[in-house]
Amino acid sequence: MADPDSVTRREVPLAEWAAAVTEARDAAYTFFDWLTAVDQTDAAEDAGFDIVCHLMDVSTPGALRRLVLRTRVPDGVAVPSITGVFKGAAWHERETHEMFGIAFDGFDDGTGLGLRPLLLPDGFEGTPLRKSFVLAARASKAWPGAKEPGESEHTRTTGGRRRVQAPGVPGPEWGPR
Amino acid sequence: MAVDLPLPRVGPAADLAPQPIKVVLNWGRRYSLWVFNFGLACCAIEFIAASMARHDFMRLGVIPFAPGPRQADLMVVSGTVTDKMAPAVRRLYDQMPEPKYVISFGACSNSGGPYWDSYSVTKGVDTVIPVDVYVPGCPPRPEALLQGILRLQEKIAAESLSTKGIRAKYAGHRLASAGELTRGLVRKPAKQDEAGGHG
Repeated sequence: MADPDSVTRREVPLAEWAAAVTEARDAAYTFFDWLTAVDQTDAAEDAGFDIVCHLMDVSTPGALRRLVLRTRVPDGVAVPSITGVFKGAAWHERETHEMFGIAFDGFDDGTGLGLRPLLLPDGFEGTPLRKSFVLAARASKAWPGAKEPGESEHTRTTGGRRRVQAPGVPGPEWGPR
Repeated sequence: MAVDLPLPRVGPAADLAPQPIKVVLNWGRRYSLWVFNFGLACCAIEFIAASMARHDFMRLGVIPFAPGPRQADLMVVSGTVTDKMAPAVRRLYDQMPEPKYVISFGACSNSGGPYWDSYSVTKGVDTVIPVDVYVPGCPPRPEALLQGILRLQEKIAAESLSTKGIRAKYAGHRLASAGELTRGLVRKPAKQDEAGGHG
């Protein structure tokens, strides 16, 4: 689906991430909507995480302009924090940190407590939105539905096609359930 | 000020009352259930629909919108209980005075429902608090809640409340006294300097 004209997408290198956000803010994109990550560790080239940030220009009533900024960060590399540009990004960076295990360099939300869990219950271990995160309930119990996705008798079998394995579903090395 | 809630008991007259009197006492309790809605997700909307004019569970003696758990007899957990919310569910359950009843309303609070494999969803509210009646559905229709309430009322009618029985039922899994569940006044936060930042 094509974007409407009011949406701009821009990919920036990791080194220019904070500068690109600052530049966008100064170019009237003053409304910070959200920031999150996308797990692309299984991408064919340049595997890592997409950091995505959505900004809006609300200066002209009736003519909302939107900007989606994206950068690719390899696993284990810290992203420059944008809390100095948008204070409200602190919650989003904390959430991205706990869900994906991505560190943010220079994170400052005014408390001095640094990156700490925001939504996950106390004592939770792991980064649940990574594709490598195995769901504990799935590991201890079989899928309660009659069919796995792609197992229906209405789907035509196309020979050598690999069955789709959803992220989080434990593989065969976890043993029978 | 912390007030310690004593262990539940019934008066000596009720303890030794003959069966007809107990029937009358149970009749009184089953038709005056102050309900406390623990609305956590979309099922809460169905609960609200059940409390409104068309289904109107007040005609069954269920009185909605208790000011708080300390005034409620029945808790309806409607919606997805998450591991983060579970301690709050337990805390509010502990604040309710005995005898108290719980209806688990909808697939999520029964068993985790469609989120049974989620990293954050509790696999049924009965892992946190004892449940009297389960109402299945995703979400159940308001009529299903009415049926659940009727079932609970049958259950209450069949009860024979004595101090010994009520303690065995409720005090056995009490985790905290009312005093421990009271929180002091929240103070105004210290003023922070408005340093830097945008947006």
